[in-house]
Amino acid sequence: MDPLTFVVLSLLGGVVAVDGTSFGQFMVSRPFVAATLAGWIVGSPLEGAAIGIVLEAFHLTVLPVGAARYPEGGPAAVAGGAVYALSDHEPSTLLLGVLVVLLLEWVGGETVRLMRRANVRLMNDKHKFQGTARWLELRHVAAIAVDFLRGMVLFAVGALILVATVRFVAPLWGLGEELPRLLLAALVPGLLASAVRMVGWRAWFAAAGAIGGVGFILVAG
Amino acid sequence: MNTLPRRVRTSMLLRSFAVQGSWNYQTLIGAGFAFTLLPALRYLYGPRKEQLERAVARHAKVFNSHPYFATVAVGAVSRLEADGAEPVVVERFKTALRGSLGSMGDRLVWSTWRPMSVLLGMVLLLMGATWWIAVVVFLLVYNSLHLLVRVTGLRIGTEAGLQVGRLLREVPLQPLIDRASRFACFLIGMAVVLWGAPAFDDPVAGLLTGAAIILGFSLGLRTRRVLIAVIVGITAFSLVLGLITNGA
Repeated sequence: MDPLTFVVLSLLGGVVAVDGTSFGQFMVSRPFVAATLAGWIVGSPLEGAAIGIVLEAFHLTVLPVGAARYPEGGPAAVAGGAVYALSDHEPSTLLLGVLVVLLLEWVGGETVRLMRRANVRLMNDKHKFQGTARWLELRHVAAIAVDFLRGMVLFAVGALILVATVRFVAPLWGLGEELPRLLLAALVPGLLASAVRMVGWRAWFAAAGAIGGVGFILVAG
Repeated sequence: MNTLPRRVRTSMLLRSFAVQGSWNYQTLIGAGFAFTLLPALRYLYGPRKEQLERAVARHAKVFNSHPYFATVAVGAVSRLEADGAEPVVVERFKTALRGSLGSMGDRLVWSTWRPMSVLLGMVLLLMGATWWIAVVVFLLVYNSLHLLVRVTGLRIGTEAGLQVGRLLREVPLQPLIDRASRFACFLIGMAVVLWGAPAFDDPVAGLLTGAAIILGFSLGLRTRRVLIAVIVGITAFSLVLGLITNGA
């Protein structure tokens, strides 16, 4: 990864961090989108999408409600998408990459919590708060800028950890490539099944979708 | 009827995208609410600096809502401020409104529309659509509701003022949630089958993949923790095995 690509990806990390909560929430920060875009930036969008889909399956049940603690998907997915797209694309690498990205997402969630604590002081410092409109605007925009920088740093740290994982840990995989392929084949359906309570009419609609999927495979060959 | 000029309303709409910019554990999105409302406050209080500052301080207090539906509250409060409502009335109104706005957004957007839109993008990709088409379709579908809620919410809020609660109760939310949920379940079924599709070219690999999908899906229906624990366990075992083999 050349320095310019690294900088562009860091900026994407900042954008998706901000999109997660602070500004917009257009959902560019969804792992499926963030990882695919990262893969595209390094030249392999489909590999980025492959890790993005697995990460997205984990995130379907995450609800960013109020003060709840939840993993932050965006910057970690950018790192995961970029590094996996540049790797050997083996199933074991994908599986390891997903597990490391999940850890990075947890770290990201903790940094969000710390930032929200810091925002208490930033926005409510009784000694400085005079109720001025300009003061409030400046502090509010500063909080968004801090969030952007947080996303850039998270991406950078995450990418380094993932590169180290791909380079030093992935070669240790000792059970061949068929097993991780099957594990991934089981993982995504399992996560999708757990996303909603598959009872009653939900199960019927899911069954109809499965039939539609089989039909598509038969028709498309 | 709107008493605020279009430029003020547009400015509030644009600022609403940053309503969660300074989310914190003390006032939640209170400061963001004041930030979004500022164009209206500046327009209404103009040169009366002291009144403006007092209004900003009042609105920077604790507030929470779903970020998209916050425009309803911002619009309604701007209307109350324009009508010269008592601060205590505005405060009570905000308190009464925030719970229902949060609940509506969580149910409609986070729990239903977003998963459905994401699944649609994923299924398109698994069906072989070009990656950017899948991404763009997801973003367009998702943000069609997102932007509709923000724009319509602000308009309804500024027009209805105190009556906004009654209007919100009339929104046919449940039918939309039900339809989107059904479609999401349909997409889950499709995604599960299509996920294994590349392996179906080879009979043995296809059979194994089919078994893995069924096993994973059945396990996921009961508990995802066990599924994840099994995968983490096998991964750890494989790495330790590789370490021992390489060491030897």
